[in-house]
Amino acid sequence: MTSQVESITSQIQTKKIPATSLLRMWSLGSTHAKIAANFLSYAVQRNFLDGDKRQKAFNQAQLKSALQLLGTMGYLRGVVMKVGQLFANLPFIIGPELVEIFESMQFQAPPMHFSLIRELFLDELGREPEDIFASFDRHAFAAASLGQVHRARLHDGTEVAVKIQYPDIARTIEADFTSLGILLQTMRFKGDFQYLRAHVLDAKEVILHEVDYLHEAAYMERNRLEFATSNIVVPRSYPEYSSAKVLTMDYLPGEHLQDFLAKDPSLQQRNHFGELISYALIHSFFKFHCIYADLHPGNFIFMDDGRLGFLDFGCFRHFSEKRWQFQRESEEAMFCNDQDKILQFITKVSFHDHPDEIDKNWAELMLKQVDWVVRPITTSGPFDFADKPYVDEGVALFKELIHHGYSRTDSFYNWSNRALLGHRSLMYRLRCNFDYGSMYLHEAKLAAQRSPHL
Amino acid sequence: MRITQQAKEENRKKILEIAARLFSELGFEKTTTRDLSSAMGMAKGTLFNYFPSKETLAMTMVADAMEDGRATYINRKTGEESLTEDMFLLVASELRALKSFRLYIGPVLESCMSVFSKNATCRAGERARKEHLQMVSDILATHDYELVPDSITVTMYWSLYLGILAHWSRDTSDHQQETLALLDYSMRVFAMMVSGDMPGYREL
Repeated sequence: MTSQVESITSQIQTKKIPATSLLRMWSLGSTHAKIAANFLSYAVQRNFLDGDKRQKAFNQAQLKSALQLLGTMGYLRGVVMKVGQLFANLPFIIGPELVEIFESMQFQAPPMHFSLIRELFLDELGREPEDIFASFDRHAFAAASLGQVHRARLHDGTEVAVKIQYPDIARTIEADFTSLGILLQTMRFKGDFQYLRAHVLDAKEVILHEVDYLHEAAYMERNRLEFATSNIVVPRSYPEYSSAKVLTMDYLPGEHLQDFLAKDPSLQQRNHFGELISYALIHSFFKFHCIYADLHPGNFIFMDDGRLGFLDFGCFRHFSEKRWQFQRESEEAMFCNDQDKILQFITKVSFHDHPDEIDKNWAELMLKQVDWVVRPITTSGPFDFADKPYVDEGVALFKELIHHGYSRTDSFYNWSNRALLGHRSLMYRLRCNFDYGSMYLHEAKLAAQRSPHL
Repeated sequence: MRITQQAKEENRKKILEIAARLFSELGFEKTTTRDLSSAMGMAKGTLFNYFPSKETLAMTMVADAMEDGRATYINRKTGEESLTEDMFLLVASELRALKSFRLYIGPVLESCMSVFSKNATCRAGERARKEHLQMVSDILATHDYELVPDSITVTMYWSLYLGILAHWSRDTSDHQQETLALLDYSMRVFAMMVSGDMPGYREL
């Protein structure tokens, strides 16, 4: 499998980022066609297969599709890569083999060579990397959907990580959304067209914010100050060596989730980091009224001294005061299991005036999902995030909701869903078992004390 | 009255300086040879003795800038570059040196460095082409490849190179970053072609 990944990755390296809508749409379309063909081939085969053979064929079809998708995503590098990262949050859906492939994308995306980096530096900061830093590693040590990260050292000896954006990525993203807009036009006669369109515009706004590294640096700094006295380390950014497309920040030594888990850590060690990750997300959520929407394992560093590195503040969604108030009230209803109020919340989230107007099946699924989401909070004492029935139930619900294809929801629902599933997935992989509910409710209480009017 | 070679050289330099100023002030299209000759205080005929057309004059400036770009490339080169990086660095350094000519390089190249002609149609264009290709040949040699003159590789490369310049002249993205992506892709393609290491080549 590794050689297949390497082979496709090496081919991707020869492809430039296509920046025109038409070309990107064509690439995307062709991959969809390939995936469809693979699953069709499985559908035909499975009539003649039984038991393990059937499972094997299915795995092969999945793997083949993922590799082809990887090829396209590495090539497109823009918004589609975000979808890949979203999949990596869902190991219980796509299986550990595919999670590994998607994670390899997060860290081994096609690199920009050093000559290109030098040009980008001249454009952005007016100087070459070697004129700015005491040393600069010409090879990237990590790659993200929108750029890649190099290690460097400042003249005062500080070790830094320098994130550099792919050239012309903002226009690439604009082109992606234009393509999506064209595809959406074909659905304009559907009843929920306006909601689909709203979701796309919302995603565009969040992702285009992500392209501005100065925006990210500002949010990162707020978090750094907030967690300064805790065991959570947020890197400091260096504005004098940063721009909208280059972000210089502290380098945090440590390992990623995969390497941490490979050492077979004890439950105590796993809980320790699980609690830190949860605290970082919950505290930041309540303090800044923002959803940290880019929740994938690559954004956490498991440091040797037991501290947690918390990275990548590019992708977040801020609540308006009104929407935050609504969020708080609905959460309260969920924690108290007030079914009437929850139903009212679901009514509002789906832009209806009365619960009777909602699709009954969907409302039922939503109520089940709410129950699944709040269970770690309402359970008193430790909650076992690796509990198989809990995980299976979540998977089934998520699949059903996707299958239902109901898009008449407000856009915050997407981001909070993404963040929640990301969190549960991380806790599942860490096989955590701790008192999550007390932590969450304590933070909620502190937030209420800070802003009693909300 | 015969003028000395030194005076000729000084006049030539002065014409280039004044032309650069007028092109940036009035724009290339709007600057006429009359504007140039009157700014120089010389007859149009005398100006033509130095440069037979406005395009040739601009091409001379472009060729000089390309030369500066190649000198910058040599200074920037670390010796650690792969073939792709090396080629990218060369062209990127030239583009940077050509920045002030970007908006009117199109018509200049069209008349002085046409892709349809084996040789450029003006002396300055021919010089720029030969010197650039010599540098490409030197780069290939350091990576153990040979650029055979008049071979299909030269034609392919020259087409890529002029294509990049043409795209760059119309590139409206920030800092012409779209051209950087195109240059990256083009140099990867060229390096693959030279090394014969083309993915999927056997299936073609």
